[in-house]
Amino acid sequence: MKRFSVAHPLLVIGAAVIALLPFQMSGYHTGLGAHVAIFFIAILGLNILTGYTGQISIGHGAFMAIGGYTTAVMSHYHHTNLILTLPLAFAIAFCFGVLVGIPALRFSGVYLALATFALAVSVPQFTLKFSKFLGGSNGLQTSTTKTNAWIYGVSWSCAAILYLVAWLVLRGRTGRAFRAIRDSEVAAAASGVTLPIYKTLAFGISAAFAGVAGSLFVIATNGFAQPNEFSVFLSLTLLIGAAVAGLGSLWGILVGAVFVALLPTVSADVPLIGSSHGQDVVFGLIVIVIMLLLPTGFAGLLQRLRSLPGIGTAVEKEAGG
Amino acid sequence: MGMKGRVLAVFAGVIVIAAVAVTAAFGAHKADPGVTSSSILIGGTFPLTGVASLYKTIPGAEKAYFDYVNDHGGVNGRKITFDIKDDAYDPSKTVPLTQQLVEQDKVFAVFGSLGTAPNLATWSYLNQNKVPQVLIATGDSYWGFSAKKYPWTIGWQPDYPGEGKIYGKYIAANTPNAKIGVLYQNDAYGKNYYAGLRVGLGAKKSDIVSAQSYDVTQTSLAQQILALKAAGADTFVIFATPSPTITALVTATKVGWSPTTTYVNNVSANRVFMQLAASNGASLNGVVSTSYLVSPTYAPQANTAGVKLAKAIIGQYAPALLPSLNGGDANVVYGLGAAWTMVYALQHAGKTPTRAGLMKALKSLNVTDPFTYPGIKVQTSPIDNFPIEQEILIKWTGNGAAGDWAPFGKLFSGVR
Repeated sequence: MKRFSVAHPLLVIGAAVIALLPFQMSGYHTGLGAHVAIFFIAILGLNILTGYTGQISIGHGAFMAIGGYTTAVMSHYHHTNLILTLPLAFAIAFCFGVLVGIPALRFSGVYLALATFALAVSVPQFTLKFSKFLGGSNGLQTSTTKTNAWIYGVSWSCAAILYLVAWLVLRGRTGRAFRAIRDSEVAAAASGVTLPIYKTLAFGISAAFAGVAGSLFVIATNGFAQPNEFSVFLSLTLLIGAAVAGLGSLWGILVGAVFVALLPTVSADVPLIGSSHGQDVVFGLIVIVIMLLLPTGFAGLLQRLRSLPGIGTAVEKEAGG
Repeated sequence: MGMKGRVLAVFAGVIVIAAVAVTAAFGAHKADPGVTSSSILIGGTFPLTGVASLYKTIPGAEKAYFDYVNDHGGVNGRKITFDIKDDAYDPSKTVPLTQQLVEQDKVFAVFGSLGTAPNLATWSYLNQNKVPQVLIATGDSYWGFSAKKYPWTIGWQPDYPGEGKIYGKYIAANTPNAKIGVLYQNDAYGKNYYAGLRVGLGAKKSDIVSAQSYDVTQTSLAQQILALKAAGADTFVIFATPSPTITALVTATKVGWSPTTTYVNNVSANRVFMQLAASNGASLNGVVSTSYLVSPTYAPQANTAGVKLAKAIIGQYAPALLPSLNGGDANVVYGLGAAWTMVYALQHAGKTPTRAGLMKALKSLNVTDPFTYPGIKVQTSPIDNFPIEQEILIKWTGNGAAGDWAPFGKLFSGVR
């Protein structure tokens, strides 16, 4: 994201492509496109937490569940406008993120991963516990459903807005504090960065992004929220997406989102081993290959390309020196 | 524009209008999607992987039946192609997969999709797009009661409240002075069953001495069962999904409670589950449930047309499922039965099948499906959107895990 200005013309072209795609695609493909946006937002949030403050989370599916159920509950019981539920989901997920971030201060590394994993497993169970209010295993549906084109438009708009928010947060003091924490907590503390505040803030922001992604996720599932949608595998999928994306690149996050949103569908059509178990095999194989070849994710690949002589200087020239 | 130009323009305009009209006319006579002169494409979403993957034998059996039909002339000469999609019981996968079936694969109908939540998630989408959502594999009664609002959706199996009603009617008629203790799951599933029981009992609902609910997240049911035992219940009714049912049966035996009769709901009555309960120490004496399918393991039914046909079809077209069938897995028979009804409806959906024709056929059924228990009729009408409403009571006979279900008595109707 440091090289935001460099990608200006590419950004415009990319935005134009995204804006025009739905007119060329069927409703089904537009729905897939919306899922890319949803994963983009969630992975962006996870990137802020894991990539910028170094706190691992295998529990972001839980924050998506919180956002998703906020939308479902508000729309189902109070007929709230679906768009209005999005900032509400942002706020509620932010609060939960902060609440989780506070005890998480005590953990790091694999222990933090386990704690967030426990979150991923337990949060969907709440919907079964309070099944009368939250719909239980028969789920909860919003009072209105929207077309895939609507969902696509709103999802990508949210993606653009939230990317801007992330960029603003990360380029300033907060971003520097986050990076300082990731590089060395001791050094950061010594430099005057109040660790608890910034670490918790990172959790909150990251959870808020996941919350919005969860809201859009529910809206994209025909407005239907159900615990099976937020299984542990969703959290793992987000982590895989973040790993494929790498750190610090908009395009990386886009690639990561496209990867996790579309690969399962594509791999189901692979001949021979395609369909049901084959899908998992293909998906798993590709993840392993990517991790072996690109340990720093797609962003790392871009960085290496830029550092190649010739390309690097051309890019610098474009950026205006 | 000169005179010549204007004539040319009018001429061109007429041709364009004529072309559009002709195309529209042809369009009006175009067959519904998924139907060609030699094939019909149908599809459905099933949990081939994930938490509910034990039901994957159902689409396997359905495909076997369609293959059998294709080898014997198909549906009025058309072969059925069955597109099985795996949604892992996750509605967020069911929705895109169903959209894929409808918009990309262009299926004629969505058939047999499994699960209440997955079908609820696609209910409004399919009806808005006027795509048949038929013979879906779920016993909830939403589909049966919503024929007006969602005319393109219909279930197949007897619904849960209807089944609860049958237990109530049987208890009221045969053991009117029973002391009933009910254990039900604290969600729509268990509550619908319990409501059906109370309706079936009628005036005898006062026989219920205690009703304990449990959350599906609870692992121990000891507290509830001890409460039922303390209330003096001699009839135990369990409205739970398979896992808690097994737990309940085992716990009841372990706390030394031996009710005269225990009623277990059909979903949890698969022979496999009973054997699991018995091997964990549950006494299966006096356990009763219901069935609406022929039994591949009950000796007196071995020569029924349905059982013989089932063994022949599975043996030839899905031999991998034969051990399950011979072991008493009712899901295999279920798949064959639902597929039979689908083929029957397709055969009566018009010379060139249409979606409207399919729904009309499904809403005016009056036929005997060979895979259902002898005597059961698959019947629907404009006011009856529940294809199967009759069930036979079955009792667990034989020694513990080596036993099996044996039907007894007469057919009961869960008619609302």
